[in-house]
Amino acid sequence: MEKAVKIRTENLCFSYNGRTILHKTSIEFAEREITAIVGPSGSGKSTFLLTLNRLWEAIPRCSLQGTVAMNFDGSFHDIYREGYPVTRLRRQVGMVFQIPNPLPMSIYRNVAFPLQLKGGLTKETIRAQVEDCLRKARLWDEVHDRLHSSALDLSGGQQQRLCIARALILQPEVLLLDEPTSALDHATAAAIEELLLELKKNCTILLVSHYLNQVTRIADTVIELHNGTLVRKGEKA
Amino acid sequence: MRRTKEHAVEIFFVFSAYFSALLTVVIFGFMLALGLPLLAEGRIFSIMTQPWAPHLGQFGIQPMIVGTLAISLLSMLFAFPLSLGCAILISVVSRGTVSWLLRKMVEMMTGIPTVIYGFVGIFLLVPLVREFFAAGSGMCVLSAALMLTLLVSPTMILFFCESFARVPDSYGKAVLAVGGTEIQKFFHVTLPNSWPGVVIGFTLALGRALGDTLIALMIAGNAVQTPNSLLDSARTLTSHIALVFAADYESLEFKAIFACGIFLYLFTTILVMAVRLLGVGRERWAR
Repeated sequence: MEKAVKIRTENLCFSYNGRTILHKTSIEFAEREITAIVGPSGSGKSTFLLTLNRLWEAIPRCSLQGTVAMNFDGSFHDIYREGYPVTRLRRQVGMVFQIPNPLPMSIYRNVAFPLQLKGGLTKETIRAQVEDCLRKARLWDEVHDRLHSSALDLSGGQQQRLCIARALILQPEVLLLDEPTSALDHATAAAIEELLLELKKNCTILLVSHYLNQVTRIADTVIELHNGTLVRKGEKA
Repeated sequence: MRRTKEHAVEIFFVFSAYFSALLTVVIFGFMLALGLPLLAEGRIFSIMTQPWAPHLGQFGIQPMIVGTLAISLLSMLFAFPLSLGCAILISVVSRGTVSWLLRKMVEMMTGIPTVIYGFVGIFLLVPLVREFFAAGSGMCVLSAALMLTLLVSPTMILFFCESFARVPDSYGKAVLAVGGTEIQKFFHVTLPNSWPGVVIGFTLALGRALGDTLIALMIAGNAVQTPNSLLDSARTLTSHIALVFAADYESLEFKAIFACGIFLYLFTTILVMAVRLLGVGRERWAR
């Protein structure tokens, strides 16, 4: 059965610092699947993810042509259309970075922060969602008794799970993950993989990964970024 | 061999640090020794409260204390929000050429000699204040404070910009990635994490405002009186030190100058320490 398309790029060209990362790439990403993006290091996999939540716009000397359309609420929206609300886009398209980047705040506030920025929710609602997301990210048991101590005191693996919890709290429809398990030990990485398989039920996941066994374990589709183009490598039956 | 070298360098730096710290203590001791006769006779209180009337044997510096505090604190009141606003404009709001141009302009302002600011004050600001308020000569606390604002702001602006830039990029990315705006990023992450730098920038500017001589000397009017309004002429401790003519090293007049120095030293120390203490509370998460 053909799955519905969530993200569609058309003639997407992207260059960074005068170097072409993508050249006229048109590709589709299916809804509620895990798509792994592989490729030699330095090919621009991480940068490609940034074109999907427009985060590259904060980086100087980048340029982009072409369109990226996403299916929100049943119809496709060009996310680069003039006046498209970028803050709303980034709430719908969550991101987890390769190097965990918790904010210098308490554990609790790190996870609650996206909701606080969004505003309009009661403290009780926020508290319940923070707990829910920390549980989903398999971090609750380790931190529930010190929610108000600094997030910077957590270990690398815990910080990464915290960042995943932070990305989940906005209930994004698309989740961009940039080698999220590279800082984690085997057991935690396995727990995260399990979590991703669970999230897939109502979330489209794009995963940049170096680990071939991880890719074969969890990805539905594998796409390789090579010489400025994205090539579909394989699909699970 | 290498160890000895490293050891020597370390000793050199430790020596430099102690030497410069000691220097300020020695200066204080020197002023204390020379100003002591006035202070020792239990006259410290009268010095602080009396007017300056050498012909009556009164060497009080109360008007100058008030003048110094009024001019420097008023200028900081203007300069701090102005500098913070300019730094936000340069680092957050504007991009590319505009930001670069503004920054270069502020950098250039730090290189302008104080006396130029003084001249601009006399020929542009003083007449303006005189015309606008239609009171007095225009040489007053307000004029001096406004000009001093212009003098201390550029360094403060650049210091704030540097502090903002030192906040790790990953924090900013984290805020933007969860749908935060540039303004939210600034107020929730950049400002709280650069707060220690902001406090240091403020104290440096405060020290400069307290210690500046030329602006007050040229613009404040130098009347030996306690200013009652912002449009009154005033004299600062620093101007006073520059203006009192005392050839006789044994005279009380001469010793009163050192009393001025002691008070200036104490004010600067106390105010800087107070700002640091107040600023510490904000540093909890900033590591």
